[in-house]
Order: sequence, then structure tokens, then C-alpha cells
Amino acid sequence: MYGFHAITTHNGWAMAFVGALIVFSGLVVLSSVISQLYKVLLFWEKRHPIFKNNNKMPEDDAPEETPGSHVPKEFPTDLDETARLYQSLVEEIGETFYLSKLYEVAKKNDFPHPHITLTAFREAEILVPYGDGVFGWNPRTENKDNEND
Amino acid sequence: MDLLFQFLSNTGYYLADYRNVIMIVVGFIFLYLGTAKEYEPLLLVPIGFGILVGNIPFFKGFGLGIYENNSVLHYLYFGVTSGLYPSIVFLGLGAMTDFSSLLARPVLMLLGAAAQMGIFFTLLGALALGFLPKEAASIAIIGGADGPTSIFLTAKLAPHLIGPIAIAAYSYMALIPVIQPPIMRLLTNRKERLIRMAELREVSKKERIIFPAVAVILCCFLAPASIPLLGTFFFGNFLKECGVANRLAQTARTAIIDTATILLGLTVGASTQGDVFLTPKSVAIFFLGAVAFSIATASGVIFAKILNLFLKEKINPLLGAAGVSAVPGSAREVHLVGQSEDPENFLLMHAMACNSSGVIGSAICAGILWSFMVVL
Repeated sequence: MYGFHAITTHNGWAMAFVGALIVFSGLVVLSSVISQLYKVLLFWEKRHPIFKNNNKMPEDDAPEETPGSHVPKEFPTDLDETARLYQSLVEEIGETFYLSKLYEVAKKNDFPHPHITLTAFREAEILVPYGDGVFGWNPRTENKDNEND
Repeated sequence: MDLLFQFLSNTGYYLADYRNVIMIVVGFIFLYLGTAKEYEPLLLVPIGFGILVGNIPFFKGFGLGIYENNSVLHYLYFGVTSGLYPSIVFLGLGAMTDFSSLLARPVLMLLGAAAQMGIFFTLLGALALGFLPKEAASIAIIGGADGPTSIFLTAKLAPHLIGPIAIAAYSYMALIPVIQPPIMRLLTNRKERLIRMAELREVSKKERIIFPAVAVILCCFLAPASIPLLGTFFFGNFLKECGVANRLAQTARTAIIDTATILLGLTVGASTQGDVFLTPKSVAIFFLGAVAFSIATASGVIFAKILNLFLKEKINPLLGAAGVSAVPGSAREVHLVGQSEDPENFLLMHAMACNSSGVIGSAICAGILWSFMVVL
């Protein structure tokens, strides 16, 4: 059997037409979906904060480490140990600084009880007053090193 | 003396007939094209060598030939007849494919759909030439210009035609630089070939991760018979994009796809034994394959021109020719034809978008044709 007769007998016209229609509509749907994909993602990323808060991260997924995230919730009782934790903040704000600045940075980095800690530092003369509200940093380890010299 | 004569009568020199010689010449031509001309060497070299191996005459009943039970080649050929190798090749292809350009310009996916029209025109042509529906469907899929897809569908519908169909599909893929440019030039004018495509937007990682998961659902729900191809294809792509399975993606796009390609090429080549391959049907398959490939190219280009009637931002109609799924050969050819008119016109990334949608399209077509034939 040959020619149009063979095509008609084997239902060729219908297979060709329906097949073409299916593949075309399938790819049209897929292209429509992917053309909207980035809009959906954009909407998802810019969603209202109230929705974001509902999706609390599981505890396993620890957030990225921030400068202050290594700070323990309770500071060690040892003042020298605490001073070592403050050392990075002092390096950040400079050799001399206003006490308010150090307090602000400590609070920003979630250091616990910055007010009490700074008072303790002053009493221990780790924070040295240079006058006019300006202070310097003089941890006791440095003193010890100097003494050894 | 009898022993010597008996031995000599079992040698290939004694058993050879003209069909083996013809096929061995064909094998050498494939090897020449693959090595000297570098036409798709990764495909033509294994197939060419497989043709040589498969056409060495041997004494029937020794369990040597690819069609003889318990032969080594027969076991290796199982990967072809079961559709295993094409699925594995698709896994590797997925792990290689970057869908960024397609995600940036989804409208180009329609060109991949349009180029599949070659498949359905050829289905009609094959039926008209007297092929049975399952044979006609297997021949028609050559129009998708995708070797693994052609082999997969033929293995399911007309396993006796795997040799000629695979050889035809891969031959036309290798001959893209010869077949496609004249059709592209014939159907477009210079002004159209000079159209420059707008720069593609940047595609986020999230989009690239979500795409394979969404696409596998949409495509395989539509044509479940394409799961063996599209399931592995999108899985490979997900491995590549998810960023946490780089080792697996790396293996899929190197060792795994290379192994499958070697075994696929060698066994398909070896399946072209002269007595099985050289038949009038094979000649008709080659003729229909050329028709399928040409119509696929033409329909992609024509559809791009039709699309331009409705689009504000015109598409270079050459891109339609890349809608066939011969990755990346046809995309490269589109780019080269575009550059021959305007050396500063870079169409490659856009053409790759059409190419990758062509892969999806031809696999869906295979699924559709397979499911049509199940009810026959």
C-alpha cells in the first residue's frame, strides 16, 4: 500500500496533526512558565517581611557568621578574657576613641552588658582616660608583656 | 591438508561477499570524515570502526556476530536495543547543557517546537512510501536530528531498522555544514540575516535550578513515554545546576557519557552487517532522512519569519535552523552563516537556546510517537 491511501489507512493525517499540536502546545506551555519564572522568584524575594518571618530557618541552617556572632551569650568572668574579645572592636574604631563609640559598637555586635563591661574596664585601667572624654586601650596582657621587657 | 582447507574456508577472505566489502568502504569513509575532516569525530569514529568490526565475515554459529545470541557484541548491543545507552547519553547531555540563554529568551523555545515539524512531514512521507506505521515513526524521528532519540525510538518500535536509521541520523548530523546553510540562505534575505539579537538578560542561579525540576514535570506529564530520555536529561541538568553534586555532574558529563557514546557508536556501527543493512529499505530511509532533516531546518526558519510578523523585537530567522536538536552543530552553523554576513553579529548563544529546546522537543516527539504506536 502506497501514497495517500497508505497514509489514510494508517491514520497518518491524524497522527501528524495531533502529534505536531501536542509538541507545539507542550513547548508553548513550558516557555510560558519559564518566562514567568523570574517574576515569581522576584516576587518571592521581595515578599512582605511578615511572610518572611513565618518561614523561620531550621536550627540546623545556621545563619552566616557575622562579626559579632562568635560572641558568647554570657561573657567569661575573667576580665582579661573579656578584654581579648573587645580587642577586635578597638582595632576597628582606632587607637583613641570616645567611650560612647566603643559602647555603640559593642552593642551593635551583640556583646552582652556593654555598660557594665566598660565600667569594669575603666576600674581595671584597661580603658585609659586621655581627657575630654577620649579613651585609649591598654589591656593588662600588654602591661605584662611590657613588664617582662 | 583438510584441516588447512577447513581453516581457510572459515576465514573472512573466503566468506566475504560484495556487501561486506561495500560496508567496509563505508566504514573507512566514516573514519576518514571523522578523523581527517573532523565531522562529528566523537560519533563517526566509533561508528566507523564499528562498521569495520561488524562487517568482518565470520562463520555463522560461532557466537561472534552482533545478531547471534551469547556473543560479546550481542551483549553490548543490549544497551542499544533496550534504550539504555540513549538514556545514559541524555544524562550526560543534561549535565553539559546550560539553559541560561533559553531562560533569558523563552520565546526561542517556539523555534525548537517548529523545527519538529520535519518529523511529522516525514511520518507522512514514510507511510506514503509503504513503510508500516512503526517503521515510519522510527524513520520520521530522524527529522529531530538527534541520534540517541532516533535510536531509542527505533529500538522500541522497529529494532530491525536500528542500523540504517542510526547511520542516517548520525550521517546527517555530521553533514550539517553541507545541508543547512543552503536552506538557510534560500529562505532568508540578506536584511533578515543581518538582524542582531538583543543582549540576553542575566539569569539567576535559582532560575537555573528550578527549571529542570519544573520542565521534567511539565514535559513528562504531557508525554510520559519520553521519561527515559527527558527524565535523565533534566536530572543531569539538575545535578549541574544545584551546585551540591558537582562530582556527580562532572562524572555524568565526562566518564559516563563518554562510555555510553563509545559503546553506542561501536555497536550501532557493528549492527550494519552488509546482509542486514544493504537493502532497498535502507536506501529509502536515507532518502527520507535527508527530507526530514531539510524540512526540519526549513520549518524552523519559516516559523521564525512568521513570528517576526508579530514581534516588536525581531528574531534573526537563521535561528530557526538551530531548532533541530543537533547540539551544538546546528547552533555553530547558524552562528557562522550569521557571521558571514556580519562578522560582529554573535548568534551562538541565541542559537544554543533553540538547540536545547530542540532536544526537549524531539524527545517529546519520540514519546508522542511511541504512545501513538502502542494503541495501533
